[in-house]
Amino acid sequence: METLLASDEPGNAEAWEIRIDKEADIIAIRQLVRELTKQHKFDQFASAAMTTATSELSRNVWVHAKSGVARVVVLRGGSRIGLEVVFVDHGPGIADLPRVLAGGYSTANSLGLGLSGTRRLVDEFSVDTEPGRGTTIVIRKWKKEF
Amino acid sequence: MELGIQPDYMKILKLDDEEVKRRFDFFELTEEDFRRLTELKSFANRCTQEITEGLYELIMNHPESRAFFPDEATLSRVKRMQNAYFLHLFSGTYDLNYVRDRLRVGAAHERIGMPPKLYLGAYRRYLALIHERLLDHFKGNEAESIKALETIRKIIFFDMALAFDTYIAAYLETMTRHQAAIRELSTPVIKVYDRILLLPIVGTVDTQRANQIMETVLVQVVEQQARVIIIDIAGVPVVDTKVADHILQTTAAVQLLGAQTVLTGISASVARTVIQLGVELTRVDTRAKLSEGIELALSIIGKKIASKKKRDPEDED
Amino acid sequence: MSSGTIPILKIGPTLLATIQVDLHDTVVDAFQNDVLEEIEKTGSSGLIIDISALETVDSYVARTLANTGKMAKLMGTETVIVGMRPAVAATLVRMGYFMSGIRTALSLQEGLELQAERLQKPESE
Repeated sequence: METLLASDEPGNAEAWEIRIDKEADIIAIRQLVRELTKQHKFDQFASAAMTTATSELSRNVWVHAKSGVARVVVLRGGSRIGLEVVFVDHGPGIADLPRVLAGGYSTANSLGLGLSGTRRLVDEFSVDTEPGRGTTIVIRKWKKEF
Repeated sequence: MELGIQPDYMKILKLDDEEVKRRFDFFELTEEDFRRLTELKSFANRCTQEITEGLYELIMNHPESRAFFPDEATLSRVKRMQNAYFLHLFSGTYDLNYVRDRLRVGAAHERIGMPPKLYLGAYRRYLALIHERLLDHFKGNEAESIKALETIRKIIFFDMALAFDTYIAAYLETMTRHQAAIRELSTPVIKVYDRILLLPIVGTVDTQRANQIMETVLVQVVEQQARVIIIDIAGVPVVDTKVADHILQTTAAVQLLGAQTVLTGISASVARTVIQLGVELTRVDTRAKLSEGIELALSIIGKKIASKKKRDPEDED
Repeated sequence: MSSGTIPILKIGPTLLATIQVDLHDTVVDAFQNDVLEEIEKTGSSGLIIDISALETVDSYVARTLANTGKMAKLMGTETVIVGMRPAVAATLVRMGYFMSGIRTALSLQEGLELQAERLQKPESE
């Protein structure tokens, strides 16, 4: 697990990059995100939502692509604070993305990615994927202002 | 300068050395500017009274601005402060202390309720007055006076930015307090009996409010260890599929915790709408009237309301 | 009493498992194994899983716990999950995961009461 601090991007206060090569990495990423939500005083619901979404998407990378990377960034937009996590893998990619995103709930389907459910936990959600090329998913959660 | 109890604007606005440096950069304030300002100290000392008088001539000529200075005592105190403000522009040290001082000035104006338009209008007059006297001071040497004016304009705009920051910070502060109050008032969870909570929802329910209601409900159910929560929707004007979905989501979450929901206040029209829309409310206990909901909640925890026996008028009890 | 990282205590006819570690897949899988083995070994009629220390429960954990309950039921054991945190409940329903097929209760005490009830009058749930 590597942890880099990258402060060269304008407007970003802190950034981390964690490789996903083994199961323990999922926990590391989850714990990092949880720590950050607490550090920046997100409420318990926002914290749980972001941490869970991170856990779900990390697991997807691990289960479907076996290897990938997660980049965690603290966002500062004016007076707002947000958290962003980008998941990148060069796995099989997602076929029929629209159906997966519209898809009901992730229940017993072992291949279920649970993307539609995870999407409801965050404020911003984007997927860039192509079968054979891999997948990049970006999630963002902003701290409630009031 | 007054102190008193005021919010820590330095903290709220995240004004540290780095931020100040960023601002100096953006306003293009350089060492040369700071040097020039220091060199103009004698000019400042000489002109400050006149400039202050010129400024207050404008202020006192307009009823709106005049209203802020109702008596001589206030006016003379303020003129003194204005002189000090002007002189401080040429102080020679431009650091966090300078910034803190400028914030105090802005805060003071915000506190008395002076609107931005008057504040800005006064600054404009200020610059005009300074310009006049600069031309005079550098008589003949137009190049120097232009440079001096440019420098002064930079520092004054820098100051104005800080003043506006205090206005905005003050409004944000008020809004935060109001929002917190509104949130509390809009989701009043009442304990009607041991282990039974009641939440009357009044007013429209949009997605944001629905989310907040669910969160409050869940926190209260756990905190109070409630076995039943009665949610009364008689006060919700429109119940469409979206609102129904929100309510259902809350009942599902309550069920996940291990508690039960009773939905009450279901009017005839709501009942009609819900069924016609095909919303599945069959898994939730519902009642038309709140009183019926309370009776149901009590029976769930094994209690009931019973009539007292009619008393014999001769009994002391 | 168990080989894994989650302690399982026997309280009369009931097993009490208190989860206090951050769960990852291997751990929760091992937990499921341990619990079912314990039920087999002790013949307990009740299982209580206390998740009051868990701040996050993702879909894998939720599904595994729910399945554990169903598996225990096949062995004649009633399972109750207790102590779910508000944020966990909110997150699960927002994801669309309702953990059907398993009973929940607010506290350990209520969980025990619930089990006692159900053991007295078995319903088809």
